[in-house]
Amino acid sequence: MSTETLASEAQDKVRRLRELFADAPELGKRALENVLTEIRSQVSEAPPPAIGSAGRVGAQLGKVSELTIIVPLAPGGARRLRAFLRLLGGNLNGGDKVGTLHDMRFVFFDNDTRMIFATSYDGDWDAYIDDFVAKIPDYLDIIDSSWDGWKGIRDPGAKDYLAAHQISAEGWYVAHPDLTVAEIHRLKRIGKAVDEFLDKIG
Amino acid sequence: MTVLEQTIGQEDRVAEKIRRVRELYADAPEVGQAALAAGLENLKRELAASTQRQSAGRIGARQGKVSELTSIVPLEPGGGQRIRGLLDLLEGNFRGADLVGTLHDMRFVLLDDDTKLLFATAYDGEWDAYIDDFVTKIPNSMDILFCNCAGWPGIRSPVIKDWLLSHQITADAWYVASPNLTVAETKRLEKVGAALDEFLDKIG
Repeated sequence: MSTETLASEAQDKVRRLRELFADAPELGKRALENVLTEIRSQVSEAPPPAIGSAGRVGAQLGKVSELTIIVPLAPGGARRLRAFLRLLGGNLNGGDKVGTLHDMRFVFFDNDTRMIFATSYDGDWDAYIDDFVAKIPDYLDIIDSSWDGWKGIRDPGAKDYLAAHQISAEGWYVAHPDLTVAEIHRLKRIGKAVDEFLDKIG
Repeated sequence: MTVLEQTIGQEDRVAEKIRRVRELYADAPEVGQAALAAGLENLKRELAASTQRQSAGRIGARQGKVSELTSIVPLEPGGGQRIRGLLDLLEGNFRGADLVGTLHDMRFVLLDDDTKLLFATAYDGEWDAYIDDFVTKIPNSMDILFCNCAGWPGIRSPVIKDWLLSHQITADAWYVASPNLTVAETKRLEKVGAALDEFLDKIG
């Protein structure tokens, strides 16, 4: 794209931002004016890897995707699941087995009637869910059996259930979009080896 | 305590936990009970390995050096539309987040017909220092995004931390693949990796 096209696109975007914030609280309008120069340069540059889709549902930046699932809990489900997670000390080492999982959280809300299951993972949705199914199916069912309407990870409708309860993020940021879990593990080993090497020749 | 006593103590502790999980799942749906029976061997190892829950300070869970922040805030009328429009125009370009320097990942999700915002991040270290970073490094970006939330006092308000605390919910479980790597350390390793490749190319 030519510089001129980029500049005119940027101008158009700034105009649309101002429109969008015309009825925003005073605080927001002021803040927008404060950073408009900054934003103008941001929108006029070709953005770094643009947010894409993780496949069926979810956002993806570079190699890293987000999954955000909000499920209604079955009666008694919150009590059971919370006690289970507490027994694990909130520590989910089973996640290591999946191999593509950067982070994962379980959060109860709305007086324990709903739960957020949110993860950050490598690659596309279908392959990721397949990994969960293949690598830690029982682990998943112990947890997911607290969800209202869940028939089990081996049920043919399992993926549809997950997709139906997932909401794609409107905004998704990753500090290192080009690093998969496997690559980070490799870098950790390299870092250690280089330190040893430098110690030896030092 | 001798090593033997410690081992026995540990075994008792795991056995007690297993008993409680079984009790807990006595009235679980069939699929959960079957999974528990099938996964019990693995679970024993998990329960034995589990450590105490770690806190990110005032609120939030932490594993090693990495903490979680999960907030659900009600939106002003029209707020959801503005947030969607704004994020759309930025096309996922969060230069500001790079400036914070301690942010691993961050998501904005609109819930319940755009009436609520779920804001969830993974970050390095303690809650207070992290919020201070947002306040000092990207105050305007914070106001632009969060002015769409009901009751947002403004990032420079003296009550901002109380407001944030009142909307954050601590995760009951939090997993991080590399709990000992901060954003800065990951950057350093990336450089080491690149330098090593270059070095090997030269001598190769």
